[in-house]
Amino acid sequence: MMKQAIVLAAGEGQRLRPFTVTRPKGMLAIADKPILQYVVEALAASGIRRLVLVVGYHKEQIFDYMGAGERFGVDITYVTQEAQLGTAHALLQARKVAEDEFLVLPGDNLISADTIADFIAVKPEAVLVKRVDNPVRYGVVSIDGGEVGGIVEKPREAGSNIVNTGIYAFTKDIFEFAESVLDIPDALNNMLAAGRTINALETEGTWLDVVYPWDILSLNSIVLSQIKASRGGTIESGVFLKGEVVVGEGTVIRSGAYILGPVVIGSGCDIGPHVCILPATSIGDNVVIASFTEVRNSVIGDDVNIGAGGIISDSVIGRGCIIKGRFTAASGPSEVRVNDESPLVNVGAMLGEDCHLENNVVAQPGVIVGNGCQVRATRLLSGRLPDRSLVY
Amino acid sequence: MCGIIGYIGSKRAHPILLNSLSKLEYRGYDSCGIAVASGSIEVYKDAVRVKALGKMLAPLEGTVGIGHTRWATHGEPSKVNAHPHCDCTGRIAVVHNGVINNYQKLREQLAGEGHILSSQTDTEVIPHLIEKYYDGDLAGAVEHALGDIEGSYAIIVLMAGEPLVVARKDSPVIIGLGDRENFIASDVPAILDYASRVIYLEDGDLAVVTADGVRVKRDGAEVTREEHKILWSVQDAQKAGYEHFMLKEIHEQPKVIRDTLAEYIAAARPAADLTSGATGLGSMLLLACGTSYYAALVGKYILERLVGIPVRVELASEFNYGGQASAGGRAIVITQSGETADTLKAIKKLNGAGCRVIAITNVVGSSASRLADQTVYTRAGPEISVAATKSFIAQLIALYWLAWPYARVDVRGLDDLVVGLRQLPVKVQQVLDNEAAIAQSARRLAGSDNIFYIGRGINYPVALEGALKLKEISYIHAEGYAAGELKHGPFALLGSGTPVVAIVAQDNTYEAVLTGIKEIKARKSPVLALAAEGDDTVTALADSVITVPQVDPIFSPVVNTVVVQLLAYYVAKERGCPIDFPRNLAKSVTVE
Repeated sequence: MMKQAIVLAAGEGQRLRPFTVTRPKGMLAIADKPILQYVVEALAASGIRRLVLVVGYHKEQIFDYMGAGERFGVDITYVTQEAQLGTAHALLQARKVAEDEFLVLPGDNLISADTIADFIAVKPEAVLVKRVDNPVRYGVVSIDGGEVGGIVEKPREAGSNIVNTGIYAFTKDIFEFAESVLDIPDALNNMLAAGRTINALETEGTWLDVVYPWDILSLNSIVLSQIKASRGGTIESGVFLKGEVVVGEGTVIRSGAYILGPVVIGSGCDIGPHVCILPATSIGDNVVIASFTEVRNSVIGDDVNIGAGGIISDSVIGRGCIIKGRFTAASGPSEVRVNDESPLVNVGAMLGEDCHLENNVVAQPGVIVGNGCQVRATRLLSGRLPDRSLVY
Repeated sequence: MCGIIGYIGSKRAHPILLNSLSKLEYRGYDSCGIAVASGSIEVYKDAVRVKALGKMLAPLEGTVGIGHTRWATHGEPSKVNAHPHCDCTGRIAVVHNGVINNYQKLREQLAGEGHILSSQTDTEVIPHLIEKYYDGDLAGAVEHALGDIEGSYAIIVLMAGEPLVVARKDSPVIIGLGDRENFIASDVPAILDYASRVIYLEDGDLAVVTADGVRVKRDGAEVTREEHKILWSVQDAQKAGYEHFMLKEIHEQPKVIRDTLAEYIAAARPAADLTSGATGLGSMLLLACGTSYYAALVGKYILERLVGIPVRVELASEFNYGGQASAGGRAIVITQSGETADTLKAIKKLNGAGCRVIAITNVVGSSASRLADQTVYTRAGPEISVAATKSFIAQLIALYWLAWPYARVDVRGLDDLVVGLRQLPVKVQQVLDNEAAIAQSARRLAGSDNIFYIGRGINYPVALEGALKLKEISYIHAEGYAAGELKHGPFALLGSGTPVVAIVAQDNTYEAVLTGIKEIKARKSPVLALAAEGDDTVTALADSVITVPQVDPIFSPVVNTVVVQLLAYYVAKERGCPIDFPRNLAKSVTVE
């Protein structure tokens, strides 16, 4: 039985900018918890308590949050990957601390305990695979009698809809095949070429990836659908709460607020009178929302301050934004250009961290605002604004 | 100033003592030792760090023992002066944190009675006094011996076949409760691995600790002391990926601010009552030592600007010699550990004068919190690095929150203040995200022998704190100066080899600080400026600039402090200094 897991958490997630400018992809919060925490909790629930975290890009964010793992009932050792060259290169950094058998997981795909429940009993070397609707985004695995025949990365035409989850069970033998390549699938193909067998196991469990900023919203809604209500802080009389609503310690919810779960509200927040929070919304710690604002299906980061009378739908608001009154971020279909892809999505505004918006700003559907932007009153935001833009 | 530890139970005491002692090294680490009882008492000690002592030891079998890590006050660090100390027979061993004032007299007395004292320490008189009074009742003998002693102490007494006996007066000690085992320590972090419930002893308490229970006596009568649950976790006391505790603690600051604020805001009431019944808000006295003193100096500017009352700040260690407090007055006393001896003495003096005392401290149940009329707790968690970082920031947050309800500004101004406070975690995080640039600036300072820090107004104490941090951990001579004072003397020391770190705030001191920088440039000193984002004037003037996020000037000490903390850290790292354990220093100074 496996006792150790090596979690690859060094990556940036470029297509998720501006949300990954100051943190690694694994530290993006979904329902008020970083993705990495879901991975760690899934491992702890499966009895795997010795973790090696390979960190790199903004590793301090991971140190600060995960610590030595005590809070999650695991024991964490950190290994640094100075340059993010690939998953095989990342894994090699952990060579010295690896045990005879170990799991390897990406730290930035959201999984739950049932995802890996059966996998931890499988004999290495092994790959966990899953059936998906859109396999061409991933590494497609051909399987023959429970054994891997080969892996093709992002094929133009997929031979099957079974893809590699990036979750593996290995022995130390993997290191010798990983030396000459940058990514783990190439190492596996080397192994196959050398005549080794690699087992494949299919999972029905949760396995979710964030690729674009708006994926944060769909993941958030999936995870929120599984939460259970809990109440901390102060809830004034005349507050209406229905469904699964989590309220953190030290949070005040003022009279007249109307909250329909699933909703998560962090600690130390001040939710003003007659604020309306609709499914599926996550609100971070130390957030202030002033009276008569409506928030729906959105993710609000830590330390955000939202003024009165706003409408925020299908939006992601980064940490530390100050948004004055009557902000409108309504949802609508939009074609958003990220790198060279422009998928059509239904989305509101994506606001980077520490933006400062004066009164009556309107964000058009699909706008992506960089970090530290400043916007004067009554301005209309559209398209994509680089970091530190001034909209005067 | 030292750390003490005791264990009684059914496990082998030796590894537990060493592990716990290593966590007390922030209190002193020039020598250490342990004593374990199994039939007879075995003592191992030397002028080495705990890790080195551990390597010297063969496994010891006893399940009862005591340990000590020392910060020398009486007698140089050496094997003979290290604790534990024993009586003539070697049957009684004692560890002690504190100072015995009348030890010379007691030494002579004991020597006259035929006792052989071999060290230069004040502590050694204790085991000999106990030996003298022992007639089969260890607790009685300890009580009798302590009756002869003038001074401060937290002691643990070990005798084979007997329970551990613990006593305190003016020095901290706690008892951690386990399952058929008990722990005694100077401070909570030492026993986080083993126990989650503690008893805080009060001054004058004497406790008899067995594996199964704790009996506390006071003036001969048995008393009960409440059990407290420890809220700190083991994780708080581990390095978690970072090379040093100091850097970890610097990085914890956004969370510390968030946690501290969440607690204050949730309480939905003023942190403490600053008014005095008859006169309303009068003047205020702020007292502290070391880094906390600089927090108090920032507090002066906060209170004077927001509340508009005159504020006096004094060093507690100076106030104790002739400082005056008025009856019915108000004083805010700041101490991270709540055990700083000079500060505690000042509180007692203030209590005696009829002054109401508000303590700001990080340690629940600490002596300061018990002596003060009101206590405002900071939520910094345990601070292991000797150089204070997050506790200082938490103290500033407490001071803002103390002043806020009494602020003489209109409603709009108050709202802006609260928004500004709530934004501080993000602003501090932005400073941390700029770490690489700060490290680069630090490398340019690392070769200097002397560095000046200047600031003006509310950032003058930040200049002092920046210089203190640098001195503490990098051993570079640094001085903090009010920017306007440099020309009254220190100008003579400027030159191309003496860099100046200038803190430039966007407030009424801005022009004056710029003038100061020009004067310094004329004396050829390289200037490293801390300036707000987008300040092109300073960028053009200074040799190099570290940009800090824009905040309301009243909050600028928070972001600027984090910059000078990182500067000191990276200078020390560049010079290869032992950052978490600087030479000759200890975390909290529980001797006067």
